[in-house]
Amino acid sequence: MLLESLEVHQFRNLSGKVFWHSNLNIIYGDNGQGKTNWLEAIYLLATSKSFRTSRPQETIRFGANLAFVRGRVRQSEAVSRDLQVTLQGNSKLLFVNGKKEQTSAYLGQLQVIAFTADELEVVRGAPEARRRFLDRGVLALHHAYIQTLADYNQVLRQKNRLLQEVAEGRLAVERARELLLPWNEQLAELGTEIHCARIDYVKRLNAVFEKKLFGREEVTIRYLSSLEGKGDLSDYRLLLTERLNLRLPAEIAAGCALVGPHRDDLEILFDGRDIRAYGSAGQQRSALILLDLAALSVYHSWCGEYPLFLIDDIDAELDRKRIGHLLEYLEGRTQTFITTSKADLIRGYSSDQQVALYEVKEGLIVPSSSEGVRAASQMEGVFRSLS
Amino acid sequence: MLEYAEPVTKLIDEFKRLPGIGSKSAQRLAFHIMRLPEADVERLIDALQEVKRKIRLCSECNNLTDVDPCRFCSSPTRDRSIICVVEEPYNLVAIEKTRSYRGLYHVLHGSLSPVRGIGPEMLRLDNLLARLKPENNQGVKVKEVILATNPTTEGEATAIYLSHLLKPLGVRTTRIAMGMPVGSDLEYVDEVTMDKALANRHEI
Ligand SMILES: [Zn+2]
Repeated sequence: MLLESLEVHQFRNLSGKVFWHSNLNIIYGDNGQGKTNWLEAIYLLATSKSFRTSRPQETIRFGANLAFVRGRVRQSEAVSRDLQVTLQGNSKLLFVNGKKEQTSAYLGQLQVIAFTADELEVVRGAPEARRRFLDRGVLALHHAYIQTLADYNQVLRQKNRLLQEVAEGRLAVERARELLLPWNEQLAELGTEIHCARIDYVKRLNAVFEKKLFGREEVTIRYLSSLEGKGDLSDYRLLLTERLNLRLPAEIAAGCALVGPHRDDLEILFDGRDIRAYGSAGQQRSALILLDLAALSVYHSWCGEYPLFLIDDIDAELDRKRIGHLLEYLEGRTQTFITTSKADLIRGYSSDQQVALYEVKEGLIVPSSSEGVRAASQMEGVFRSLS
Repeated sequence: MLEYAEPVTKLIDEFKRLPGIGSKSAQRLAFHIMRLPEADVERLIDALQEVKRKIRLCSECNNLTDVDPCRFCSSPTRDRSIICVVEEPYNLVAIEKTRSYRGLYHVLHGSLSPVRGIGPEMLRLDNLLARLKPENNQGVKVKEVILATNPTTEGEATAIYLSHLLKPLGVRTTRIAMGMPVGSDLEYVDEVTMDKALANRHEI
């Protein structure tokens, strides 16, 4: 898939339309000019969400009553679609070719993987961020997984409420055992689905993982079930059911659910040591890029195409050599969008055919290399021949 | 000061109490009522009062009815040996539309949800257990209970809870097949899908 163009209206400080290069797009400019906003706009178009705020309405320009991002996505040789996300007041409207669509019908037409400051939680934050990384990956391959996740979380909420009532003395322990049963049965069923989906996904990641792309240090990953060492993981459903029964007194004492895949983690090791505790900021960023590259590959081997890859502030922790390795690896694979404030990074690419450069000043984006302009006019030609 | 005369405000406020009616709709409805001929308004009032006066729950199956027992429970052509358990009266309607189910019903009027404060004691279960005894069922032994609660986590929990309650009583307990859009309400399932779900029910 290819994002051919993007039109932005009153989204943060942005406005205007830009045509993108099919390989590498470098968006540069001084800090605070709106480079990241352009990535955020692409991310919004793909996911209908922002990677910076859980309230996309905050992204409507101050004083305006609506904002939209509209993009033309090439799905195949002959098929292009116009996607649009409109934010108005507290509502979000999604359009495909000008027709309003349900979220479920809209999502999945444009896949992105974003490397951003928030995303660094995966390599240095709590296990929750790593579980989210895995679940996002599974979701890109199996849309129905969203229902499994939603149901699992709903069951957890119901179970936690019962456990809380026992803790507060409003429910007798014996009665609670009886009432917890239907929720634990569902937890075992849904938990097994989630466990198996994540195990399978990590297996796929491992099969394509470029352990040493950035140097001699080896990055390894492994799914870390919270039931590891507690019995036979090969029959997870049986083990989970056993643990749910066995740990019930502990759960009642704690007043919350202690057993299930919501306690699992993804172990990320850097030369055998936990990246979270022992990795430098640079090593952590490298490891996250490796994870993202693996996710790109897994998606490609499943769907036959690459998602877009967005890299915010590429030079913050990666040195020139690593950036070079990375971009070389990506060439011919993904349509990549990177932001940088370092002018010397751009200089190396100014004559390259495979790159378009864009300068951002106060939200406005201007193709600044002859290649960028050429890409834009070629795309314009494609548009004309299609419309 | 009120924007409208007192009786108008009162009517708008009453409409606003109804589910799914916001300020604008309430206002629109109130103005519609004011434009109606007196006879139409009388008819509406009658319908409201009649439903309140005449409709109650069937003492056997808890379905909404104007006669007790309801038309299903007193019908000589329905198979009394099989009971289909649903959450709400409109779920019953969805199954009835298939025209392939000939047994009786039982309406729980809800599903288990600790978060919403709904426990088993708030569901209408007592008369379900009573009906399983032949002496309470015109001498007919109940052979099967179909659990047709919604395919949501609450509906599923309710079905599991009931199956644990019913199995020790020696009655065959089945769950309708989940070949329908998961997370959806039985209310929105079309007849063909519902028919398949009933036909493919399995032991629980
Ligand atoms: Zn009845």
